[in-house]
Amino acid sequence: MSEERKTPFLQLVFDDFILLLFIGVAVYAISYLIWGLIELAWLPPIPPEIKQALLGR
Amino acid sequence: MAVAVEGGEKWFRTCDVTGFKVDLRAEKIARLNAVMAVVSLLIAVIAALLLVLTRWQLFHVLPVDWYYRVLTLHGLDALVFWIIFFELAALTFTSTAFLNTRMSSPFAGWAGTVLAIVGWLLVNYTILTGNADVLMTSYAPLKAHPLFYLGMILFAVGALVIVTTFFANLMIWRRENPGQSLPLFVYGLMAAAIIAVITIVSGAIIYIPTFLWSLGIIKDIDPGVYKLIWWGLGHPSQQINVAAHVSVWYLITFLATGGTSINEKISRFAFILYIVAINVASAHHLLVDPAVSPVWKVWNTSYVMYLAVFASMIHAFAVPSAIESAQRRRGFTKGLFEWLKAAPWGNPAFSGMWLSMIIFGFIGGITGVVNGMEQTNIIVHNTLSVPGHFKGAVVGGTALTFMAVTYYLIPLLFRKKIAFYGLAKFVPWIFGIGIAILAVSMYILGAFGVPRRHWDITFSGGPFTYTFNPVTDFFWALFGLGGILAVIGALLWILQVVVSVFFGKPFNGPQDLQIPIAEPPPPAKEEEDKFAAPGTFTLVLLFMVAFIIFVALNYGWLSAMWEVK
Amino acid sequence: MAILPPPEGWFNQKVAKDEKIWMGLAFVMSLFLFFWMIAWHVYAKQNPSFTTYKTTPEEFYALEQAFVNKYKVGEENGIPVVKPPPGSDVFILARQFRWEPVLVLKKGEEYRFHLSSLDVLHGFSLQPVNMNFMVYPKYDYVLTFRPTSAGEYRIICNEFCGIGHHMMIGKIVVEE
Repeated sequence: MSEERKTPFLQLVFDDFILLLFIGVAVYAISYLIWGLIELAWLPPIPPEIKQALLGR
Repeated sequence: MAVAVEGGEKWFRTCDVTGFKVDLRAEKIARLNAVMAVVSLLIAVIAALLLVLTRWQLFHVLPVDWYYRVLTLHGLDALVFWIIFFELAALTFTSTAFLNTRMSSPFAGWAGTVLAIVGWLLVNYTILTGNADVLMTSYAPLKAHPLFYLGMILFAVGALVIVTTFFANLMIWRRENPGQSLPLFVYGLMAAAIIAVITIVSGAIIYIPTFLWSLGIIKDIDPGVYKLIWWGLGHPSQQINVAAHVSVWYLITFLATGGTSINEKISRFAFILYIVAINVASAHHLLVDPAVSPVWKVWNTSYVMYLAVFASMIHAFAVPSAIESAQRRRGFTKGLFEWLKAAPWGNPAFSGMWLSMIIFGFIGGITGVVNGMEQTNIIVHNTLSVPGHFKGAVVGGTALTFMAVTYYLIPLLFRKKIAFYGLAKFVPWIFGIGIAILAVSMYILGAFGVPRRHWDITFSGGPFTYTFNPVTDFFWALFGLGGILAVIGALLWILQVVVSVFFGKPFNGPQDLQIPIAEPPPPAKEEEDKFAAPGTFTLVLLFMVAFIIFVALNYGWLSAMWEVK
Repeated sequence: MAILPPPEGWFNQKVAKDEKIWMGLAFVMSLFLFFWMIAWHVYAKQNPSFTTYKTTPEEFYALEQAFVNKYKVGEENGIPVVKPPPGSDVFILARQFRWEPVLVLKKGEEYRFHLSSLDVLHGFSLQPVNMNFMVYPKYDYVLTFRPTSAGEYRIICNEFCGIGHHMMIGKIVVEE
């Protein structure tokens, strides 16, 4: 009987706090931090036509 | 239940109330952290009184420089130090006593505590000497004294060391108990600890370069990068609180009513959703900011499609239904709410917990979702509604919960009798009602456009003037009333704790127990296909209706504003 | 029991009917909120913008000065008053502790606001309509506003920017 009743796989996931730590850090790092920093880094400069209209150069 | 542990008896005492083996070395660390928490709260509460009496401009007690100084002090001591020290105490104590296991490294525990205290001293010192008038967020390029940033770094490192010992303790427990699942309370704190790791690492990533910048070693800190990463510290630190106080709700539910989550898998699933999704919602601090795109904003501010809100709504059912099912098994089955009427309202831990659930859900939670939605944030951002929201969430939710559970910690952790126990019945109500009035009046003032973090809303000395709707005068009076009530409640609580812990009578065993611990209820009769908790179901439906109405009102109001894209 | 490991088989326990219904409702509500924000972008008229440019305080200051010189119509309390044509790019400069210039706009017309700061973070809080946006140095935040009501409006700074924060108040006039 004890061989039949294996712990469900999902329960192992629920109980594995190191795995959960890894998932938590990964989601945050990718979705919030890295994606956000990439967007900050890739901003364009003010378009030249806007500058030209006001500064004439 | 007790297991053979290395170290023998000299490390442990056996709790005469719960039967747990308590590692005395962990207990001492937990006690010191808890004391630091209360000291921080005392500073924060005194600061709060001065702030209430300054913003309510009828009194306007602080001069402008001291207003921002005291505001910085209040923010950090209330939102960071009081709460994190309390959580460090909880993590240390629960990961040993509640698991019947030993402290993995008492040295690391002490080292972390000392680092955190040194950091705490540096931060409080630089603020009070006027060297860090930058408010809690310290947005670069506003610059504070290097020792301020160093203090924040030391505090973060100290906290991280203790969180690491928590995980090490869990590993020891797992080695000693292979194949077992953590108790739900510890499981929730485990979620809090994971969120804490994310929080603290973000804090280190941003404060270390900022420290070097304040020393002149780095030339420049980009304001966008600073704000993005800082909120990886700023908001997750409050998400630690959510996970921690929800865990404590489960604990108090068990201690005060004998109730157990009616389905542990569901409760644990909700904690996992917190771990996965709650931290990205830091994005709601950048909704009306330049730089990040609406795609990033919507995805992250929504906790990845509101998974964390979903999780909180699961707990909103799971905690009261645990109480309800225990009460019903005791025979309080009449109507929808007899179980609630017959609940142990005289127990301050119970009444405090119940109040904090109501305030956290109906005030902190609903306003939080609306504040954090991409478009409605336009009418909320940086108004007084924002602190109004987190007074409901953090003060009414977390602080009140921690205050409530302390009534159990005084006998069980500090081994002291509770001083003036007769008073304890009233403290959660005074504090809770005060905070509720304060939070609601701040939220309404914010809706009139009143800014947060502002010394003088008559704009004296400015090139123009502006007068807010005169109705605000009424809400300022309400704000003052709520604030003063909450300060009184908090001071009474601090008085009780300090007198009990330092001058109290020793607690010598179950006969000295003032605050009741409930007997487990009789087992449930198997009844298929019936509602397990109809009263709770009614309450959460009520919550859902309030939630939908509030979202609809705000979007309706937003649609009347100027057009912007 | 919250303080002891769960009983054997906890993972396979059936979920009660009411808890199941509630979880369904809560999940639908969560999805609704998420898709609502996207739908609002498509169908409604109040949304944070998609546009930000990288700039420097020097560049933005030069642009703002040129903008003021081009459309200046007067001065009020030492702050230039500017009346830009509808549909144009409008530059608003935040600095410790003032907003400039004062704007005169026409109701119902679109203006591309450029917001940036010379020094620290500021908060652009339009009162009494109560719309709030952040202003950073080095970032040019472009928001296309269409004033839908006439009258006198104030810009309050609602992000702490230093000791004179409370004196930082600007003005926008919307004409019929």
